[in-house]
Amino acid sequence: MSYVLKYFLFVWLTAVIIFAIAAPIPAVGDMGERARILYFHVPAAWVSTVAFIMALFYGAMYIKKRDIIYDHKASSSAALGLMFAVLATITGAIWARFEWGAFWNWDPRQTSIFVLILIYGAYFALRSAVESEEQRAKLSSVYSILAGITVPFFIFVFPRIVESLHPDPIVNSSGKVKMNTNMLLIFLSSLAGFTGIYAWMMNLRVRIAKLKLREGN
Amino acid sequence: MDFIWINQTFIVLGITLILWIGLFFYMLSVDMKIKKIEKE
Repeated sequence: MSYVLKYFLFVWLTAVIIFAIAAPIPAVGDMGERARILYFHVPAAWVSTVAFIMALFYGAMYIKKRDIIYDHKASSSAALGLMFAVLATITGAIWARFEWGAFWNWDPRQTSIFVLILIYGAYFALRSAVESEEQRAKLSSVYSILAGITVPFFIFVFPRIVESLHPDPIVNSSGKVKMNTNMLLIFLSSLAGFTGIYAWMMNLRVRIAKLKLREGN
Repeated sequence: MDFIWINQTFIVLGITLILWIGLFFYMLSVDMKIKKIEKE
């Protein structure tokens, strides 16, 4: 990633933050100003999903190529996915406190992300339990593939088949986007900005892993 | 209390911007350090 791109990301996300917080927001149900959480909570959940799927991809690449860098990429992506999942859970819980009256309600969305956090928490427990680097890479790659397969179910399927208090997803069951154009623009810009942060964080972690490998040789 | 209520948008905006700017420059400094080591 060049420095021009990084400064562009800075300007981009700064503008997104200003518009997301200060721009007028249309009435969304009875949520009022609380609807602004959409600009931060959903992108965090989106990036965690992308990161978990990328961990699956790098896990599969390790199994195929047996190159240790893919194991580092898989664990980096899973760690970032876990961080963004925790961020989405915290922002969601704060919103739930004001909208539903309690931080935690065991709503299907809350339950599914909680289970995902446990699944990826176990991934790191597994990694720390195996001393041999090769054995650890093999086991955790297989685990990241199995864990990644469950992600679409917990994010897209489970919350839709069980009765939930959670507001409708952006693309609802009828396949249409029901959102004001300005809101949609800010939301999509935030989604792109969060994805950019993930890409940069991933880039940093992989470069650190490469330096450590170089030092080890 | 009235001050917080009236200026709530700007307070939240300020805190979020401070957090984002802090995170950005922290990541930028880490990036530069890594680049320096990579060149060595």
